[in-house]
Amino acid sequence: MDKATKSASPSGAKEGDYAALRELFRPHVESFDYFLDAGLEEMLSSIRPMEIKDPNSSTILKNILHALNSFFFLFFPFAWNCFAHKGHVLPPMRDGRLGVPLYPQESKLCHLRDADPHKLVFHGEESTEMGGYFICGGMERLIRILILQKRNYPMGMVRGSFLKRGPGYTDKAVVIRCVHTDQSSVTIKLYYLQNGSARIGFWLGGREFLLPVGIVLKALIDTSDREIFTSLTCCYSDKYGRGKGVVKSLEYLVCADIDYDLPNAGKYFRSVMEGFQHYDYETVAKAVLKDYIFVHLENNHDKFNLLIFMLQKLYAIVDQTASPDNPDALQFQEALLPGHLITIFLKDRLQDWLRKSKRLIIEEATKNKSFDLNNALEVRKFLTKHTTSVGRAIESMIKIGKVNSQSGLDLPQRDGMTIHAERLNFHRYISHFRSVHRGAAFAKMRTTSVRKLLPEIEETVNFLRNLKLLAHSGIPEDLEVGYVPLSLGGAYPGLYLFTNPARFVRPVKNLFSVPGGKQSIELIGPFEQAFMEIRCPDGGDGGRKEMFPASHEEIHPTAILSVVANLTPWSDHNQSPRNMYQCQMAKQTMGFCGQALKFRTDVKAFHLQTPQTPIVRTATYNKYCMDEFPSGTNAIVAVLSYTGYDMEDAMILNKSAVDRGMFRGHIYQASYVSLFTECIDLSKKNRENVPEIFAKSVLSRDTSTAIDSDGLPRLGQTVHPNEQYYSVYNRLTGTIRPVKLKGSEPAYIDYVAVNGASSKGDFQKANIRLRRVRNPIIGDKFSSRHGQKGVCSQLWPDIDMPFSANTGMRPDLIINPHAFPSRMTIAMLLESMAAKAGSLHGKFIDATPFSSSVKKEGKHPRKPDSIVDELGPMLASYGFDYHGTEILYSGFFGTEMECAIFIGPVYYQRLRHMVSDKFQVRTTGRIDQVTRQPIGGRKHGGGIRFGEMERDALLAHGSSYLLHDRLHSCSDYHIADVCSLCGSLLTATVIRSDTQKKDKREMLGVPTVRPAKNLVCHACKTSKGMETVAMPYVFRYLAAELAAMNIKLELRLSNKSELPPSQGS
Amino acid sequence: MDRPAAGASYQRFPRVRIRELRDDYAKFELRDTDASIANAVRRVMIAEVPTVAIDLVEIEVNSSVLNDEFIAHRLGLIPLTSAAAMQMRFSRDCDACDGDGSCEYCSVEFLLSARATDSDQTLEVTANDLRSADPKVCPVDQARAYQQALNADYDTNAGEQRGILIVKLRRGQELRLRAIARKGIGKDHAKWSPAATVTFMYEPDIRINEELMDTLTLDEKRSWVESSPTKVFHLDPITKQVTVCDAEAYTYDDEVIKKAEAMGKPGLVEINAKEDSFIFTVETTGAITAYELIMNAIMVLRQKLDAVRLQDDDSDLGELGAHLGGP
Repeated sequence: MDKATKSASPSGAKEGDYAALRELFRPHVESFDYFLDAGLEEMLSSIRPMEIKDPNSSTILKNILHALNSFFFLFFPFAWNCFAHKGHVLPPMRDGRLGVPLYPQESKLCHLRDADPHKLVFHGEESTEMGGYFICGGMERLIRILILQKRNYPMGMVRGSFLKRGPGYTDKAVVIRCVHTDQSSVTIKLYYLQNGSARIGFWLGGREFLLPVGIVLKALIDTSDREIFTSLTCCYSDKYGRGKGVVKSLEYLVCADIDYDLPNAGKYFRSVMEGFQHYDYETVAKAVLKDYIFVHLENNHDKFNLLIFMLQKLYAIVDQTASPDNPDALQFQEALLPGHLITIFLKDRLQDWLRKSKRLIIEEATKNKSFDLNNALEVRKFLTKHTTSVGRAIESMIKIGKVNSQSGLDLPQRDGMTIHAERLNFHRYISHFRSVHRGAAFAKMRTTSVRKLLPEIEETVNFLRNLKLLAHSGIPEDLEVGYVPLSLGGAYPGLYLFTNPARFVRPVKNLFSVPGGKQSIELIGPFEQAFMEIRCPDGGDGGRKEMFPASHEEIHPTAILSVVANLTPWSDHNQSPRNMYQCQMAKQTMGFCGQALKFRTDVKAFHLQTPQTPIVRTATYNKYCMDEFPSGTNAIVAVLSYTGYDMEDAMILNKSAVDRGMFRGHIYQASYVSLFTECIDLSKKNRENVPEIFAKSVLSRDTSTAIDSDGLPRLGQTVHPNEQYYSVYNRLTGTIRPVKLKGSEPAYIDYVAVNGASSKGDFQKANIRLRRVRNPIIGDKFSSRHGQKGVCSQLWPDIDMPFSANTGMRPDLIINPHAFPSRMTIAMLLESMAAKAGSLHGKFIDATPFSSSVKKEGKHPRKPDSIVDELGPMLASYGFDYHGTEILYSGFFGTEMECAIFIGPVYYQRLRHMVSDKFQVRTTGRIDQVTRQPIGGRKHGGGIRFGEMERDALLAHGSSYLLHDRLHSCSDYHIADVCSLCGSLLTATVIRSDTQKKDKREMLGVPTVRPAKNLVCHACKTSKGMETVAMPYVFRYLAAELAAMNIKLELRLSNKSELPPSQGS
Repeated sequence: MDRPAAGASYQRFPRVRIRELRDDYAKFELRDTDASIANAVRRVMIAEVPTVAIDLVEIEVNSSVLNDEFIAHRLGLIPLTSAAAMQMRFSRDCDACDGDGSCEYCSVEFLLSARATDSDQTLEVTANDLRSADPKVCPVDQARAYQQALNADYDTNAGEQRGILIVKLRRGQELRLRAIARKGIGKDHAKWSPAATVTFMYEPDIRINEELMDTLTLDEKRSWVESSPTKVFHLDPITKQVTVCDAEAYTYDDEVIKKAEAMGKPGLVEINAKEDSFIFTVETTGAITAYELIMNAIMVLRQKLDAVRLQDDDSDLGELGAHLGGP
């Protein structure tokens, strides 16, 4: 009993312990901390000083280093604005979330940093709030983590696109992405030429510069050809005579480019290097070497050595003594962290700002003679007035996710850097932060669109990778030691050490334990991982023989699963695609999206009224406090084919269970109404002149409507479709414009927030949140946690459901047994049994996958072979069948059913796809103005297209009446007047009937009968040939379009009955 | 199937023996009738015995964390004492009013007013806070507490009767509403169902083949007895005899038969369901007593049969008549 209560407490961890949850969001939050702590300063000091030459005095003002200080303050109000200043504005804005507070949640400048749950709740946040996102225009946006090439590692690549660099180029190159200490990067490519030489390529000013490697080598240090030769060939032993090829190519390498020298090269760069217009070529060339060639290295000797190394690798790849590296392997990848992106983007914007300011200052100085460059105050004033804010650029980057920069920042993509952190449910929310985006180019590359073959590219592949952010001093904990052993034709050998930030690391157990100490956890990276022996903790050797004993061990086999995948109970008993489906469906579940729903104004929020905690759960469920955001219900599921309404994945819900609240939910829809933006500013200074405000007509004494006296809706009021729910008063025209509710279902006014009032106390901005009831109805979608989704086909009366003779229980839900054989979701059956045993026993059942593969020392020497053997006796001890079945009686007849029915509680999720949001039906309605055909689109009350294939189906059935009805009568049926003499469709003209006659009729009070239209053909000037023809209106439109192109469309009318059938019209 | 000669009576005289009867629980045997009758009784008890439940809610103030519909739904599910429900009118049939609660024949008004003023204590609004206009109709917990107070049986755990929780209020939050309870049946909404559980089972007829049983060893007997998940058989430790100790515990799971076959002794036991005797288990929500539930169910069933019979008299059975009369 005592044991049962102990295990029944929902989480092993202390309540309110969200450390594990916080850990998931660490890369986001801590990379901002890096930006604030170190990145900002580093970045500023690495910006090349800007020189401004005063055109008046023609003195070159080298005010740059000095200016850095003044500029620092100059732009900081802007830059800082978005990070700190607005952050402090936040608290009062919390309720409405109307403002644009832009700062990373929970970053160091956030006022909620390190706040305890109580403080978070006090501020209207979730108690689990982990931050890591920006609040931007009321939206929560986060910066995606993007896959990049591993920094400072020369990668051998073979790519067809290298051939396009010019004649003589081959498809082989060694590419290195060099990252400066301020996180900005320059990619250098070392191309191999057909003549055995090599060229260095890098991008500068929008084009790629290609330099012969010889002059770069010589420019870097004072060296001789012999030195280059010896250092290049030092890795070859004479024994194999391999050096010869290199020697030959070296002749080209050095000698062929003999006419180039350093000043010469500088010539080409002077125009593109900003701020070097007045320097000699050599200085320019040196600056290029410093700023573009191997920016991660300071020393030219190091750069020289690196270039030699790259050349060696290049020749090895050409020789095929080493294989090229695979850029799609995790081994050669790292992550672009949000803080780093902001750093490099800010640097780019600042440089841009400096350029613009310089131009402006020079222009101003030439125009305005009194403009004194030495007067810092004056310059600052001038710049404040004329330049745009740098902070604004970052704000817009976060808002739309577009990196607007000329250079491209050496990033693989410019769009989609940020996404909206949807809080549909907690699974979806977490997966946004955990996902590592493979890049837009990769996403496009997916060729197959067969549903079953699609891998979950960006969402669940995020295996528990921890991203280590900052290197520590001394020997870092996460030092990555990549030793590539010597092999013929394998990876290029070497010993590589990585301590840099933005690497992927993950914890494993190190088996070489320190004597006396416990086994230590080591952080390993993907590069070294490829050369390590890591075993599964199942006690076996994983197929390794004694040659390669395992040096490391996984902490738990579930490390291969993402957070969401880890929540599927016993996923190791399911067919793997089903687990994938569950990962997708978990993110579409309608659950608790947030405890602080009341204080939030999400555009659309789904909310389950009566969620439950699953009886069968994995260890991860407790670890990440999923009970804060439950997403389903333990429904009693019977697996039987009962009424025929459970065919093809349909499921029958018990009506009484739904009556009692199962799967009931709401949709919250918030809309932000701003009358402020709609105004036309007559005079910019007077903002009070805005003509529209919220107000109710003073004349209206009607209190029955939803509109309160202030023009805004009453709280809790029901609003029906097309009913007015707020009204707007236009001060200029004095008119009242009531706004009606759109849609086809009633809504409740849940919340109204007013944002700021004018001095007169008028409201112009309001946030109105509507609540719509979404109780389960036929057509709603549900799913278990095993990729078994289904649609509710009936709400079946309780009395007609089968019942158990012992307990009298009726199932909440019936699914068809055919759902199992082909899908093989054994875990769902296990869950049903386990939940039944667990609910009888009064404790939660642990369903962590692969737990049977973890060797337990000394514990339970004879463990039951399978989970069934564990659960069966438990069920039997409570008088139930060993296999989870029960004898059920038919609800209709009261007779015993032929076979025992598998029945038990299964955690079911309600998915957000609901018929009320989807159904589309119309008889008549809006039509297209031009073609007079029904419009499409559910939002506009349009119909579903009856297209070509549908037409073919009807034709095949010969159902011509139906065809005529669909395509003509219910579409653009039109009776046209055609002149049978000239055959024209367009020349019919109406002759006005006698107006006097009409008037007379009206005067006499005789009902005006519409006189027969008097039509005349405009071309033939007669009404003799006028006939009426029924046709689609588009045909008439076609005739008109053709006429516009000077093509006459002629109809030959004939009465079919008068003609022999062979002639036909 | 032979059709009996016209005029022959098929009337049977079912017998009922009540085994156990408490306020909210009953167990009885129904003998000498068919499954159709037993099931009809079950279905009527669940879905057609009328009770009173809150149906209309008018919310004046609601500043709690739960929204209006949620609270209204919770109120509806509170079981109300409905002993008078049979005598009440359905508001759709009521000609004294239009069902808005102004009429005592079809509706009962409830008022609820709660406001948390205490400093840091969350106020729990329960069914006990509902104030009924009719003392006959009130939440079952209130009725029970009243009954206990009346019996002066004031034992220590009387204070634990807190009633069904509706909503919790924090300081400053308020809930004020007017609710109207109406008569209804479980078919329309589960809140009107007076039955928590109604189930019946066929009485099993278990015959042990004693001769075959005697061939078993003691261990075999023990393992056979233990193969049943419920305790149906008993092995007397002294006489080594296997007897049926609780036939009704048998769940028709066939485990013992399978076990006997596995032991190579098919026919060790023969189990048949008696087609004409049923054991009912009835639990109520407390809205009406189990006795009332059974009696009302029979009354409702009779009324329904009367309706059919009346139609029969008018020879207006339509299709049904044609079906019954045959060709």
